[in-house]
Amino acid sequence: MKRRLISALFAATLALTTMCGISVSAEELTFWHVNAEGNDLDVVNAVIDKFNSTTESGYTVVGVPTQNDAYKEKLVIAMSSGECPDMYISWSGGPMNEYIESGFAQPITEQFNNTELPEKLMQGSIAQSSYKDEIYAVPFNGITVSGIYYNKTIFEDLGIEVPTTIGELEAACDTLVENGIVPFALANSTKWTGSMYFMNLAARYGGLEPFQKAVSGEGSFEDECFLWAGEKIQEWVEKGYFPEGVNSLSEDDGQARQLLYTGEAAMTCIGSWYTSTIKNDSEEFFSENIGWFKFPAYEDAPDVDDSILIGTVGDNFISFNCEGEALDAAVEFASMFADDDMVAFAAERGRLRPVNNIMDYVEDPVDQEIMAAVSGASAIQLWYDQYLPPAVANAHLDGLQEVFGLTKTPAEAQAMMQEAMEAYNAEAAE
Amino acid sequence: MEQQYKKSIIKSRISWAVAIFLAVCMAVVTITPFIFMVLNSFKEKFEMLTKGVFTLPDKLYLENYAEVLGGKFASFFINSVIVLVVSLAILLMVAAFASYPLSRFKFKLNAPIYALIVACMSIPIHVTLIPIFKMTRSMGLYDSIWALIGPYVAIGVPISVFILTGFMKNIPREIEESAEIDGCNKIQMFFKMILPLSKPGLSTLAIYNGVNMWNEFSFAYTLTQSPEHRTLPLAVWEFRGRYSMNTPMIMAVLVLTLLPMLIMFIFAQDKLIKGMTAGAVKG
Amino acid sequence: MNKNSLLIQRQKETNKVAAIFLAPVLIILAVYVFYPIISTFHTSLYKWNGISAEKTFIGLKNWATLIKDGNFWFAFKNNIVIMILSICIQIPLGLAMATFIDFAGKKANVFKVLWFIPMLISSVAIGFLFTYALATKGGIVSAVSNFFGGGNIDLLGNPKTALYTIIAIIAWQFTPFYMVYSMAGFTNISTDVFEAARIDGATRGEYFWKIALPLLMPTLKNAAILSMVGSLKYFDLIYVMTNGGPGRSTELMATYMYKYSFSEFNMGYGSAVAAGMFLLISAIALFTMKVINGKEED
Repeated sequence: MKRRLISALFAATLALTTMCGISVSAEELTFWHVNAEGNDLDVVNAVIDKFNSTTESGYTVVGVPTQNDAYKEKLVIAMSSGECPDMYISWSGGPMNEYIESGFAQPITEQFNNTELPEKLMQGSIAQSSYKDEIYAVPFNGITVSGIYYNKTIFEDLGIEVPTTIGELEAACDTLVENGIVPFALANSTKWTGSMYFMNLAARYGGLEPFQKAVSGEGSFEDECFLWAGEKIQEWVEKGYFPEGVNSLSEDDGQARQLLYTGEAAMTCIGSWYTSTIKNDSEEFFSENIGWFKFPAYEDAPDVDDSILIGTVGDNFISFNCEGEALDAAVEFASMFADDDMVAFAAERGRLRPVNNIMDYVEDPVDQEIMAAVSGASAIQLWYDQYLPPAVANAHLDGLQEVFGLTKTPAEAQAMMQEAMEAYNAEAAE
Repeated sequence: MEQQYKKSIIKSRISWAVAIFLAVCMAVVTITPFIFMVLNSFKEKFEMLTKGVFTLPDKLYLENYAEVLGGKFASFFINSVIVLVVSLAILLMVAAFASYPLSRFKFKLNAPIYALIVACMSIPIHVTLIPIFKMTRSMGLYDSIWALIGPYVAIGVPISVFILTGFMKNIPREIEESAEIDGCNKIQMFFKMILPLSKPGLSTLAIYNGVNMWNEFSFAYTLTQSPEHRTLPLAVWEFRGRYSMNTPMIMAVLVLTLLPMLIMFIFAQDKLIKGMTAGAVKG
Repeated sequence: MNKNSLLIQRQKETNKVAAIFLAPVLIILAVYVFYPIISTFHTSLYKWNGISAEKTFIGLKNWATLIKDGNFWFAFKNNIVIMILSICIQIPLGLAMATFIDFAGKKANVFKVLWFIPMLISSVAIGFLFTYALATKGGIVSAVSNFFGGGNIDLLGNPKTALYTIIAIIAWQFTPFYMVYSMAGFTNISTDVFEAARIDGATRGEYFWKIALPLLMPTLKNAAILSMVGSLKYFDLIYVMTNGGPGRSTELMATYMYKYSFSEFNMGYGSAVAAGMFLLISAIALFTMKVINGKEED
């Protein structure tokens, strides 16, 4: 009796362990991406279908849509076991460089130049795909820059003009506060949302040079432009420009949008994906109320170029972990994201590809305004938290959150960030 | 004497009233979030965002459920059920096997093995992801629901053995002795005596591990990739994009995920508790 | 002589049966748990970004850093706070609930089900609902506070209260487990004992304190160990709700380890944190078991 039971148990375990999973055949290219839902998924699937039905390479692409939250973890686990997919997306910046250094992304300069991509894609997006003079990725997803979305109706009712300087912005905020309206709908338990304000303020005060120098080690994150940005934020917190309990509100759970939709708040500084996010929630609310302006200039820094934007040109970048013919086919696939029909289809669904003629496809007035700002921008600075090595990015986000909570001074937060940067540079030099 | 008796009755009535009052308060606390979860699953997305989470829905909006059930929900559900049933059966069996010698035998390695199993409870789940991913790939189980069974059993084992050993230790020695006189050997003893008497412990384990497996995310996420091999906790993805999410729809998914467990608990708990007391008394 | 050899033979049989019964569990643990633990300790000796094929052996350097790492010990302290409060809140409350159900009998079945519900709700939903319930403006807690004349309260956004708030939510989620666990403990006390006590004129209160509680003690001790281990390796709601914030005020050992391993490309140090965590938790759990079970273990 016992024997039978135990051997049955072992047999069962054995049967389970020998049952086979799905093996991917050699002619299939796996593509991991995070466009897991709705419009995003449709747009990616359209390109996959197009490639699979038209290609003469003999390869087919299998898309694996994955949820965003734990995507980086999944990628690390796969790479760690040497099981990296043939194509996967990343966000360029710090993590992409890690993937390249570790040998999970092949240079594609040659294949890239054989396609129409060099003429089609925006220069900035190609720059973001490059690392040490080689091109390593194809940007495809969208152009996202940060700016201020505002409620036109509230502005009109209170006679507020769209501000062009930070002084005017503050005056507008004061009027809003007097009328019981929160100026900025910020939900900062997510941490990176507050960073939008910080990056823009720092760029308006000192341009991009202080940041570049701080990263390279020539300068420091304790530079006055960063300190000023932190102090400005605390001043705004104290004047009630942000919602009460700003650090406990969650962007992911929609609490910032809730403030906008109920009219409790009048503006928010956020990435330009908000156009489609708001439209997705309510087309009607969007067309009746929403306008956009770029982060205003700082009047006391007239020399600073105020066309600079913070954001990313490409948003998602396809990296390649395959060789030879497979790589050729993969780049062919990736280039299709920039095909006219695909760009048009994506634009219809509110996704703006980083191609030079994107203006031809933009119909939404708010998006047109955003794209005009993009084409007029002298430079687009990648989000700090994506550009910086992850350890430094975390130090920045953690410290800044406490600046918003008034539990750390800007000087303390910046010292923390600088310390992390120095530690990283010291280790890299080893 | 009679006075005293009356007094004690009054006292007992009062304490019952207080207890019931507290019990109701407790129920309010435990169930309120659940109620709002259900209410929000009947709202339209924009309605939830403008009117807030803690309001009644304007009207019973059934679209969310229609859309969820019209999607791949059924396939997720079946996958989850298979994984749960197989993993739980194996887990309970091996945990009961292991707890028997640990709780009732004297042998040299007893204490060290028990300590080892307790130590295994302290392993942080996330360090097992990479090694288990590698193993799963080399076993050829990657991207199938069978990949989940091994880790689910293994993660549940230490805590289950710990709990069950505790329960089995509490079973009175006399039961064993009388059975021994009847000529039972150790293995018969396990199946005839110890296992039936451990039902309360086993049911606690079934509930605890069942809920954990049903809601498990990390392994399901790491070890599968194609939609047809996903389990329920991953169903939420379909409605959660990078920059937006349809919260009422997610609530609908979560309500549908929770219901089977709730129903099982309602049926299971009644049988468990009664059955075992009777068994324990008769011995 | 004869008797002695009989004893030896019996012990041999015992050993054999023990080996057969323990084999499946030990095999499963060896594959899925021992191996990852060993591999974690191994990785902690390297400087490794987690993905590259090359790792650099650096000996105990990660461990030296860990011992001096103020952030890690701060996270450990947070875990200890969670542990103490979880044991003090969840177990007595769970026991009280189980006692009520035991005394009230079948009539209390409704409560059993209602009280169990939090255990069934996934962390995603809990995170969402409580985030809204705790919103400073318009949240339920603030509404209650306003009703009693207090102002709005920002529980999650304040580094001083965030951890305690999460602890309360964790208690809400896990107390039902200790209820079920204690209920199972009650079933080990036979009804004869209860009836005998009643006939002797004991009130329910006396029965609980003098008879039931001592009999439940082993169960409760084990519950304390479970709660202890669970709290020390806690991850879920912190990850979902605060991600360690505001600032780093709610960082736990597990979230700290996760950050290094999966987002900062420092798997070597992440593994040292994980291994350190494992050692600390095992040591605390085994030591506590020794202390509270001291006399019974023979």
